[in-house]
Amino acid sequence: MKCYMCNLEGKETDAVAICIVCGMGLCMDHVIREEIEVWEGGFPLPSKKQEHTLPRILCKWCYNALKVD
Amino acid sequence: MISLKKRFFAELIGTFFLVFIGTGAAVITLMISQGSTPPNSFNIGIGALGGLGDWLAIGLAFGLTVAVLIYAIGHISGCHINPAVTIALWATKKFPGNEVIPYIVAQLIGASIASFLLAGVLGMAAVTVGGLGATSPFEGIGYTQAIIAEMVGTFLLMFVLMGTAIDKRATPGFAGLSIGLTVAAVITTLGNITGASINPARTFGPYLGNLILGGTNLWGDYLIYLIGPIVGAVLAAFIYQYISSEEKLPAGRTIRERE
Repeated sequence: MKCYMCNLEGKETDAVAICIVCGMGLCMDHVIREEIEVWEGGFPLPSKKQEHTLPRILCKWCYNALKVD
Repeated sequence: MISLKKRFFAELIGTFFLVFIGTGAAVITLMISQGSTPPNSFNIGIGALGGLGDWLAIGLAFGLTVAVLIYAIGHISGCHINPAVTIALWATKKFPGNEVIPYIVAQLIGASIASFLLAGVLGMAAVTVGGLGATSPFEGIGYTQAIIAEMVGTFLLMFVLMGTAIDKRATPGFAGLSIGLTVAAVITTLGNITGASINPARTFGPYLGNLILGGTNLWGDYLIYLIGPIVGAVLAAFIYQYISSEEKLPAGRTIRERE
């Protein structure tokens, strides 16, 4: 699979990841990796934040669309 | 994890609302029942129904508050808002021992603030007529009977909590609703027996308020609301653990995947 974003720029680059939301193939230059905090547990015990985060691969468009802040 | 200081405040706020809304319903039911002399337009007969109708209303005020608080702060502090629950979770090694006292202190402070604020909002009638919603065994109910009734009520509360929240096989998301409805059911039945505390903090606040604001001193009954709920909750936690645990596989049948 080739990188969709590179293709739009007239380049042809191999994709190394896929956006989890839209399925777009992405090269290392266009991939956005988000680290999602993982909380476990809850009522009747306080939730605990896990040491390791959960990676989420996104393209620029989906990242901007999902960005809350 | 959220710091103990913040969880302390979460428990305080949770118990405050439980006591303010729950005992508030009890106080207002008593005030409405009493009405005024001569009767005015507010003597509309609410509370005159008496019996289980009133207790269901009071039970729902407590139960709905418990349910929404579980969804609001359950992930922050665990939303125990009840020393019996905290102690039972500690006894079954699910809650750290060094956090038991801070949690209970928070619950007692929250309950006390609620009782004083209730008196502030409703005036002294909340103390003289409503007794700040303090629990006490009803006529004909002995000390031991009252302890047993509180024990049974809190047993059901803790049993449901274990089954809907601690047990990983439980349907996710239903703990708050289940526990709230349990509280409402227990209060409807136990209301006219012991006042249905099932929570030492819920009784502590009104007792302290009555003592300081000149209401009836009921501290002689406090052991009922200390022993009954704690024993009931601890028993329920251990019994649920026992009946819900799988028998261990014999050593020879342990399956080991490739390492």
